[in-house]
Amino acid sequence: MSEEFENQQSGAPPSEPDGAAGKGGIESSQPPLLPAEPRHGMSKGAKVAIGAVVAIVLAAALYFLNNRWIAPATAQQVRAAGNYPMAPDFSVTDLNGQKINLLDYRGKVVVLDFWATWCGPCRIEIPQFIEMQSKYRDQGLAIIGLATQDQLASVQEFYKQFHMDYTVAMSNDRTEALYGGILGLPTTFVIGRDGRIYSKHTGATSGGVFEREIKELLAASSSADSPDFKPAVPPNSVEDVDLGTPGEINHEVPGVDISKLTPVQLAAFKKQLQAKNCTCGGCKFNLLDCRKEDTTCPVSRKAAREELTKFQSGAGAKGDETKPAETKAEGSKT
Amino acid sequence: MRKLFLLLLLASTGVPVWLAAQASPPVVEAHWVLPTDAVHAGSTTRVAVVATIASGYHINDHKPTLDYLIPTELKVDPGKEIRFTDVAYPKGTSVKFEFSDQPLSVYQGRLVVEATLKVAAGVAPGTYRMQGKLAYQACNDHACLAPTSVPLTLAVKVVAAGVPVRRVNSDVFSRAKSARAAGAN
Repeated sequence: MSEEFENQQSGAPPSEPDGAAGKGGIESSQPPLLPAEPRHGMSKGAKVAIGAVVAIVLAAALYFLNNRWIAPATAQQVRAAGNYPMAPDFSVTDLNGQKINLLDYRGKVVVLDFWATWCGPCRIEIPQFIEMQSKYRDQGLAIIGLATQDQLASVQEFYKQFHMDYTVAMSNDRTEALYGGILGLPTTFVIGRDGRIYSKHTGATSGGVFEREIKELLAASSSADSPDFKPAVPPNSVEDVDLGTPGEINHEVPGVDISKLTPVQLAAFKKQLQAKNCTCGGCKFNLLDCRKEDTTCPVSRKAAREELTKFQSGAGAKGDETKPAETKAEGSKT
Repeated sequence: MRKLFLLLLLASTGVPVWLAAQASPPVVEAHWVLPTDAVHAGSTTRVAVVATIASGYHINDHKPTLDYLIPTELKVDPGKEIRFTDVAYPKGTSVKFEFSDQPLSVYQGRLVVEATLKVAAGVAPGTYRMQGKLAYQACNDHACLAPTSVPLTLAVKVVAAGVPVRRVNSDVFSRAKSARAAGAN
């Protein structure tokens, strides 16, 4: 890569503007066609010297500005981007028949709540969400409730009974997988106006915690990150947000992106997983079966992803050059 | 105000517990228990499913306190040679959780579900495998897991008439009998 760069540099045309060198040559070798005008100011040499000084001062100023403000700000943004991943987009149809795309909510603060009618800790949160939606709607808050592992009729009944005035839709396996697998309910993501996930809460959480986070994110602009945002929960209970990608949504090895493996490599990789015991604690499955049995298990997901890295860096991935395996979409027959 | 404070407390203490539990063994483990090492054709006997519920979790009573809760249920595939009837669930323990205004009847720790096993007359000696599952929905006091089930396989050894059978697992059945009596009182 560096060699290629050097070659490009050595083969590149001169950096001076076209004609600049020629002009200098004419001036130095031929007498001027017109009589020389009287000189009003500085000589050419003085102009060049001043230009050089100005250039040096500008460069120094830029260097100072960069060190003092630009670089730290950029680093802070990068850090914020690293800590706060983009919320995966999804499409669902709400209980009123409206199609919902998360992307359409960009510019709003979104509380994305995975919940269920059969879940007591979820139900206790609903009145506070209703209250917050009403209180902060005009400032740009949108609450979306995704009913998980539930019956449509039960959700519709609950929606009416509790007068839920925010968007409610049925969840699906794909959306849950995109959000890293929903292990426990309620699981709630707080998303900023910039579309980043700023916090994740598993389990019943105080309305005060949500309200502090919502207010801070509502105060941020729609185009900037919120690098100073701190989730309103003690540091030891802040959860990592481990999202899934579309490539990880498959039936062969759920939670692991196998899209770059050829069919032969996939078969070899699955054998590799079958030869490993799952370490999720007492399940007695091999790693492959563990992944299939409980797609939300973070332990087996991490272990399987590590195995893929090993596989791709080892001999297993180098022996076959045929086309990558087609990853079957969620819901398709395997 | 008190509820808000408790929720905040749960958020600060409960989530680490919850996260730690993610790497734990399955919430419910269960297996069949027979009172004898074999059965005779045409006989009837009580059998049991013994379930262990992970510490800190509960599963709902077979007859839950609130209608929205998912009951614990033993389901067995019907067979020609062997049938199950009269499934008996113990009464749950009444526990008050922060997420509910009223105490809920739940199972915690150890659960024994009994059933009557009937072997059809004329069944040939041999081992018969019965498939079933214990369906449940578990929660701890601040979050819930999706409804799921433990698969159960029961191998019933049928021996010819006159072949003696030996009593086993008497402790399980005597404890279940005591629990049943206590529940009835």
